[in-house]
Amino acid sequence: MSPTMPTARQRRLRTVIFWAVPVILLLLPLATNPYTQFIANGMLVSVLVTLGFTLVIGNLGQLAFANTAFFGIGAYGSAILAAKLGVPWVLTIPLAGALGALGGFLASAAALRGIRAYYLAIITLAFGELMRWAYLHAKPVTGGTDGMPMPRETMFDISLSDDTLKFYIFLAVIVVLVKATLNLMRSRFGRAVMAVRENEIATASLAIPTARVILASFMWSGFVVGCAGALFARHVGHVFPESFGMLHLIASFAMVLVGGLGSVLGSVLGAVLLTALPEYLRAFPGMEELFFGLIVAGVLVAMPMGLASLLRRLSPIFVERFYREAP
Amino acid sequence: MLMQLTLGGLSQGMIYALIALSLTVVYRSTTVVNFGHGDFVMAGAFLSYVLVVLAGVAFLPAAALAMIAMFVLGVMFNRGLVRPILGGPHIGLALMCIAAGYVLRGIARMVWGREVLPMPAVFDMAPIFFGDLVITGDAVFIIGTVLVLLVLFFGLMAMTDLGKMVQAVYQSPRGARLIGLNVDRFNDFSWGVGAALGALGGILVAPVSLLHPDLGASFLIKGFAAMTLGGFGSLGGAVLGGVLLGVAEQYAGAYLDSALIEITAYVVIVAVLFIRPQGLFGRKAVVKV
Repeated sequence: MSPTMPTARQRRLRTVIFWAVPVILLLLPLATNPYTQFIANGMLVSVLVTLGFTLVIGNLGQLAFANTAFFGIGAYGSAILAAKLGVPWVLTIPLAGALGALGGFLASAAALRGIRAYYLAIITLAFGELMRWAYLHAKPVTGGTDGMPMPRETMFDISLSDDTLKFYIFLAVIVVLVKATLNLMRSRFGRAVMAVRENEIATASLAIPTARVILASFMWSGFVVGCAGALFARHVGHVFPESFGMLHLIASFAMVLVGGLGSVLGSVLGAVLLTALPEYLRAFPGMEELFFGLIVAGVLVAMPMGLASLLRRLSPIFVERFYREAP
Repeated sequence: MLMQLTLGGLSQGMIYALIALSLTVVYRSTTVVNFGHGDFVMAGAFLSYVLVVLAGVAFLPAAALAMIAMFVLGVMFNRGLVRPILGGPHIGLALMCIAAGYVLRGIARMVWGREVLPMPAVFDMAPIFFGDLVITGDAVFIIGTVLVLLVLFFGLMAMTDLGKMVQAVYQSPRGARLIGLNVDRFNDFSWGVGAALGALGGILVAPVSLLHPDLGASFLIKGFAAMTLGGFGSLGGAVLGGVLLGVAEQYAGAYLDSALIEITAYVVIVAVLFIRPQGLFGRKAVVKV
């Protein structure tokens, strides 16, 4: 049974809530200490990563592993542009997004050859591993295992190592990208994306170029996650190859699933919930993998559509049109 | 030189063939691609390490015990976690396999941390010299074991009803059920065999390589590359793809650049999917509306 759609009044209320959340968050730095502020910034980065990821696996319905690769491309792209070419960091955000989109194109170009499902998953997995190999071996550009430091920089006479300033910049980027993604999914293109998930052959019979829809979804996903990579580079201040390894991949999967496949609200929830928790597990080797593995398995069995599915049972305000009820 | 490389490639390729074959066995029964299979391989290697080094069991019984344990684990995983969501979309199934892999990896890392463990050599046979060619005991052992196993496996497929069952379930699980096959039990069995064969791959590489919890990831990619090259779903293709991949890696490493050994598998995957997506022996995917 699908939940009832929101009424006009509820939709207006939803718009108010959508804009009220970032406005209220503007006050957050007043209530944090340096450590909690750092965690909050990490949550914002995760929100973007999860948003980009759920677009491909939730909305488009294609299994993909290249997300972590786009994240790495964005982070390294931002670090290289800022450190080697002297581009101001803020400008590297859209550029890193563009690089991520290019990565999205390369990872999914096989879709034009009719490659789908498991094959596409394997090719994106190979793409991700290939990128990791590149970070390690392109030492003159990426610094190899030592990674790359972000250069010191100031904005409005405040150092960019200031977590409060970063928080405001991150928040602005996220509001823009979340709104853009929501609008995109409501457009003709967004409906085509979901139609491909439901039945690609039927979609193609409506004269929708499905391979190009898949390619474009990967590119938008790559753009969002590439921007997240640029934020991440500034957030931690030093880009290491390990940050874009298998642990990041399972963490992203867990965030997407806990929040709810294909739900924008869910990707925000999943990212916020699962960014802080592993901080406590980091001291114990192996615990993070075990934790995320168990969470993913548990959610798949017990709550396949994630927290967002519980919320929309509570009130139609939380109903989006981008997912289906069964996974 | 060429002979030496080919021999090294063959013994690596046999491992890849075994892993690709075990992935294919699972794939043909439940049409699930086990994205956690690399960690099954790792778990097999670690179990044999525990039994040999810590419990002092001889290598052969230790290998048998580890394979039995992995068989049971495979059956339990299929029953408890795969079957309940088998009707769902492939994303959920793939994620479930990934999650299981990470759980195994997490357990291995909890016990061993970031240490890298050396396994004692199993066959301290003096190498045989054929002119320039050096044949090590490990190479003989790996190639010999896998060859015996392959003969046994394909013999069973060709001569017994089991082979017909495998074919029937692959073609139509529903049809197989209609003629009275217990498909659920068959799937349990396939997952068990897949896990045990994958574990054997890990057990065979353990004496010739260092053990660490992340060792599965690269074997997973190699297994996929071998499957893709041979043709997804083809049992013989998986074996041939594995052997070809092993040899190709050695050639690429020796004649081009040693850093290329690690990425030959990725290049093979990408090249095959662009040039001939059905691989060498796969059937062309026909989508019926």
